[in-house]
Amino acid sequence: MLGNYFYHEIIRKTVIAFGTLFNDIHVRHDDGVGNVISEIKVPVAYGPRQKFLARIQQQPELNKATQITLPRMSFEITNISYDATRKAGITQTFKAADTDDGGKLKKVFMPVPYNLGFELNILVKLQDDGLQILEQILPFFQPGFTLSIDLVKSIGEKRDVPMILNNISQQDDYEGDFSTRRALIYTLSFTAKTFMFGHIAKSPEGLIRKVQLDYYTDTNTQTAKRVQRYTVVPKAKKDYNEDNVIDTKDEPFIEPGDDFGFTETSTFFGDAKDFAPNRGVDI
Amino acid sequence: MALNPYFLQGSRGEQRLVQSLINEHLKIYGQEVTYIPRKFVNQSTIIEEVTASKFDDNFAVEMYVNSYDGYSGAGDVLTKFGMSLRDEVELTVSKERFEEFIAPFMDASDDIDLASRPREGDLVFFPLGQRLFEIKFVEHEDPFYQLGSTYVYKLKCELFEYEDEVIDTSLDIIDTQVQDEGYIATLQLVGVGRTAQATPILGSGYIREIFLNNDGSGFTGTPTVAISTSPSGLPLDNATAVAITTTRANVTSIEKILLTNAGAQYTSPPIITISGGGGTGAAATCSINTASNGVIRFVMTDNGIGFGTAPVVTVSAPAAGIASDRAIGIASIGDAGNGFNRVNSIFVQNAGIGYTSALPTVTITNPETISGVGTYQFNEIVQGMRSGTQARVKKWDADTGILSISNVGIGTTTTGFFKGEDVKGLTSGALFSVSIYDKDDSTDKYNEGDIFETEADAIVDFTESNPFGTF
Repeated sequence: MLGNYFYHEIIRKTVIAFGTLFNDIHVRHDDGVGNVISEIKVPVAYGPRQKFLARIQQQPELNKATQITLPRMSFEITNISYDATRKAGITQTFKAADTDDGGKLKKVFMPVPYNLGFELNILVKLQDDGLQILEQILPFFQPGFTLSIDLVKSIGEKRDVPMILNNISQQDDYEGDFSTRRALIYTLSFTAKTFMFGHIAKSPEGLIRKVQLDYYTDTNTQTAKRVQRYTVVPKAKKDYNEDNVIDTKDEPFIEPGDDFGFTETSTFFGDAKDFAPNRGVDI
Repeated sequence: MALNPYFLQGSRGEQRLVQSLINEHLKIYGQEVTYIPRKFVNQSTIIEEVTASKFDDNFAVEMYVNSYDGYSGAGDVLTKFGMSLRDEVELTVSKERFEEFIAPFMDASDDIDLASRPREGDLVFFPLGQRLFEIKFVEHEDPFYQLGSTYVYKLKCELFEYEDEVIDTSLDIIDTQVQDEGYIATLQLVGVGRTAQATPILGSGYIREIFLNNDGSGFTGTPTVAISTSPSGLPLDNATAVAITTTRANVTSIEKILLTNAGAQYTSPPIITISGGGGTGAAATCSINTASNGVIRFVMTDNGIGFGTAPVVTVSAPAAGIASDRAIGIASIGDAGNGFNRVNSIFVQNAGIGYTSALPTVTITNPETISGVGTYQFNEIVQGMRSGTQARVKKWDADTGILSISNVGIGTTTTGFFKGEDVKGLTSGALFSVSIYDKDDSTDKYNEGDIFETEADAIVDFTESNPFGTF
């Protein structure tokens, strides 16, 4: 029923935009007297992945000496929900040039507002690492940071997508027996206020073949009489049907983009008829 | 009496017997593992944790694997942070063997406070599977006081979580386990370098020296220096010069004017006009010499390659041998297009005086590295000779010239390595030049930071700037 295939990769693009916010965060260590002894750029990745791919990529050698390398950040989509507060009129449209269709002007319906819930997890070995990472993130979110994302490339539709930081939670299992390792995980939950675009319809190609306008003596067409009809039709400027004469028989062959003129006709009436658009005659 | 009268239930002799039996048992049925004590490099107060550690000792000792049917623990699991290996193992070590063989050496180390027993946080290298285990708990009362004493420690271990710790035990089989782990930057090194060569051109009626009478102010760009033409009418006889600007206290002025061609056949001092660059007030005059020859310009016959800094140009003295009469050239270096600097040109700072028709010799000092030498050692510190940046060697591939490094910024300088500079191994003395410095970690198969950046460049509009970094 819904029909047309389309895929703007909007959710994927929102994931990419979210990921790029956190791909340049560093952690430094010093030797206690002020000398920096290491600087690490914290790896970040989208958490969900194919299991076999993770195994063969991250553990090609089956024997691995260490458990994991830290610190690391991972994020994933946790929920997708409709945002009624940003709802636009369902019949509201805007115009945009479609680069996938020769730059033709398209009528695009307003996108549907959706919120994507993201969870950014930070796993650190040291509390100090976690604090360094957090402090590099938090000042940018008050509570949101807005990214301008090109959601539908073909129509160049850039939308401001606020990434709202909702909540920060910390897991620190430092209590208990020594058989379990202390796990230090910071979890930041975000909401990305993105938009879903529907199918961008191909515009029907065609030429307006006739424009007809009737003038009345008054605005009340029930009582007023018509007095004049103004008609405009395209006028051919070359011999389309190759009959060695340029006349009205060439007019049906005029294509959009051709060089053509117009034939304007004014007709005056003394009758009391009206034009019936469904039947195409005066009654 | 309820107790067995044939035993003393805890005499020293009985206890020694049990300890000896246990020692022998462990030597027969145990595994030879390597005990690696942790040394604290930096311990944070308030937030109590050791923020930097190193592991540079090793002690071979026998330990018994309690779980005979393999590692315990959750095994290999996929977490939201990628693959995590949750293998655990419980090892038994003789108390006597540890206290007599390992504890005295640990006690002698200044970096280790607690040396009398195995410590939580220390590492054990387990040769079967080549795993690095971290001790998370030391049980000292199991078995519980046999004949009134305890004889073993049970070490509950799990695989080590690696970050940036230095593991330099001097045992390759251990040290190399983490050479591909952690945050690794790469240096593409090349051992190229070639001396530049230039030929001096002599002439008379040349500009001997330019006097900068007023250095002007307010320049926003480099001004143009125009010198009136030579009366000979030959293009190459026209003197040309460039201005070098400097900025002090936010005011940019001309620092010096260097001749690219001192000109020839001038009969009177030419007029020097300084224009453009947005500044005002600069003025210069010059003196000419018509009595003898001077070096009016230099023609590069070989631009050389591999210069980290501008080489020194020395021109031989004129025949009279007066040192102060000799010409002075200043080399200008620039990118040769392959990541290394070459000598682009040599300016005439002073054309000299008293030269005859015999060409003087021009000597240009060698680039820092004529050819790469030596072999970088694993875990040694390397230093960029210009930037001062230090890092630790993870891996050196002499065939490809790729040096994998970690901990970039050791010391106080964190600027990163400069293209074209020499990188010296402070232990090995190895010396090569930097062709490419890649600060991003390409060995980590988990990290997707670069991919996000590339993809985001096409869809995210950071028109003004990217507040999250330059990369």
